[in-house]
Amino acid sequence: MEAVLAENVNILYDSYRAVEGLNFKLEEGETLLLLGPNGAGKTTLLKTISGFHRSYEGKLLIFGKEPAEAKELISYVPQSHSLNEVVPLKAIEVVSVGAIYKEGFFHFRFPKNAIKKAKEALNFVGLKHEAEKPFNKLSGGQKQRVLLARALISNPKLLLLDEPLSALDPSARAEVAAVLGKIKREKKITMIITTHDINPLIEIGDKVMLLNKKLIAFGSPEEVLRDEIIKSVYGPLARAIKVESRLYCITGDVHLMGGHL
Amino acid sequence: MIPEYLIRALLASVMISVLLGLLSPLINMKGLAFLTHATFHSLLFGAVLGMILGLIFENLELVMWTALIITIVVVLTIAELEKKGFTPDAAVGIIASFVAGLTVLSFGILYKVMAEKPYFPFSENIVSYLTGEVFLITLNDLLTLVIGGAFIFFLMILLYRDFLYISFDPEGVESYGGNVRVYLMILYVIVGAIGALIVKTVGLITLQVIAVLPGAIAMMVSSNIKKILAVSLFLTLTVELLSIVMAYKTNIPPSGIATIMLGAIYGVLLFRR
Ligand SMILES: Nc1ncnc2c1ncn2[C@@H]1O[C@H](COP(=O)(O)OP(=O)(O)OP(=O)(O)O)[C@@H](O)[C@H]1O
Ligand SMILES: [Mg+2]
Repeated sequence: MEAVLAENVNILYDSYRAVEGLNFKLEEGETLLLLGPNGAGKTTLLKTISGFHRSYEGKLLIFGKEPAEAKELISYVPQSHSLNEVVPLKAIEVVSVGAIYKEGFFHFRFPKNAIKKAKEALNFVGLKHEAEKPFNKLSGGQKQRVLLARALISNPKLLLLDEPLSALDPSARAEVAAVLGKIKREKKITMIITTHDINPLIEIGDKVMLLNKKLIAFGSPEEVLRDEIIKSVYGPLARAIKVESRLYCITGDVHLMGGHL
Repeated sequence: MIPEYLIRALLASVMISVLLGLLSPLINMKGLAFLTHATFHSLLFGAVLGMILGLIFENLELVMWTALIITIVVVLTIAELEKKGFTPDAAVGIIASFVAGLTVLSFGILYKVMAEKPYFPFSENIVSYLTGEVFLITLNDLLTLVIGGAFIFFLMILLYRDFLYISFDPEGVESYGGNVRVYLMILYVIVGAIGALIVKTVGLITLQVIAVLPGAIAMMVSSNIKKILAVSLFLTLTVELLSIVMAYKTNIPPSGIATIMLGAIYGVLLFRR
């Protein structure tokens, strides 16, 4: 069964179509890198798949279920700038959010098994010793890894990541990309990752989608990341280059635009 | 020999400090200062309306209950508007302007009703709602404050972690299965209910400051939630009790003294940065 199946999907904000005529299939265990300029509809697509945004037309199935019915199977990691870091939570408390809302309404007491799971998840992302540190004192790469740990704690079958690399410096990008690679290898979770910078992720991408309101291209990295396709979205300065059998994309000043206000 | 009214005032202050000490950091973290402000305006509206009803039915208990009900209706309406997609600021702004207009209107009615019932003992005048009358609270007021306060206190403790989590990342809580809207609604109602419980003792003019500053100060001096709570509780308690004692000696309304003390501490901390 496909992890994600989209047939003629239109996604709407009231009467405005943010995404049109989308068709694609993602197999279980595959990683999809979702590319596109600002306003292309990347976040919109993730929110629709995760069941957050419900206004769409067409057929959209997640492991054979409608998005709203598939919530249990999905973890969604929003862009990290949406966090209110004035609230002084510890890393482990942030991670535990992924577990405790499965049951109970009052969470005065931290359930023991949530602590255990949170510790395991932090271990997995290499933050064993940061559990008790305040989240807002961690580095950008560490924060993103904490959010990954939080997403993993509920054992999702589909992981949706909205710009996990944005606002990180190159070494932190590599650090987060390494954890994403580990998730793919060891947990075999299907992932959809939006990014403006494909280069650190190209090794884990089985599929690449180029989106700009409509589907521009979908396929393996080699198929999609060709000069003429990239130029059609990112403009004449963009190109794809291969260095020592690694594929790189140069998309002009899009990297700068990748930062969020 | 300590006079009984002073003991009542001190006990009331302890309860108030505990409630505000806990609530204040949340107001700051969740960015609810503007909502708090609107809440306190609706308390004034509710109080004036309550006085009208109180005079008509010759029962001044109605004042606090009307204020409580009006305030809760107002916060729920604000929450509903937010649900409809208004930003918190817009929702508060719309409601606050209605409430302000209604308050002025109801003052007009209040004066008429007062003129018709000159014989009714009108001890709870509107000024006590503005400046606070901690030395005038009755045993009955104190009981209401302690029982209502204890209930809200436990509710807040039970949900404190959830309130922190929805302040930190509402989308995250939602996506992992938490009902953010319900938590937020409860938090709003708590803000309104605490306001209604304590407005008569603390006074409307200074309520806003006393609800916001302790948390703001605590967050300046610490970045750990337990310490923030400890500092906020300690600060409200000290300032409240000190102001009662000073007011007893000097005859200046205590809420004024408390506010000036908090303002001074906040100012000094800002200055030292
Ligand atoms: N809540 C909303 N209501 C109405 N329109 C929206 C809403 N959210 C997004 N849009 C519109 O939908 C389109 C796609 O937005 P989206 O945020 O999905 O883009 P994106 O590809 O994630 O961009 P970015 O790279 O900037 O994150 C944009 O035109 C945007 O203005
Ligand atoms: Mg986006």
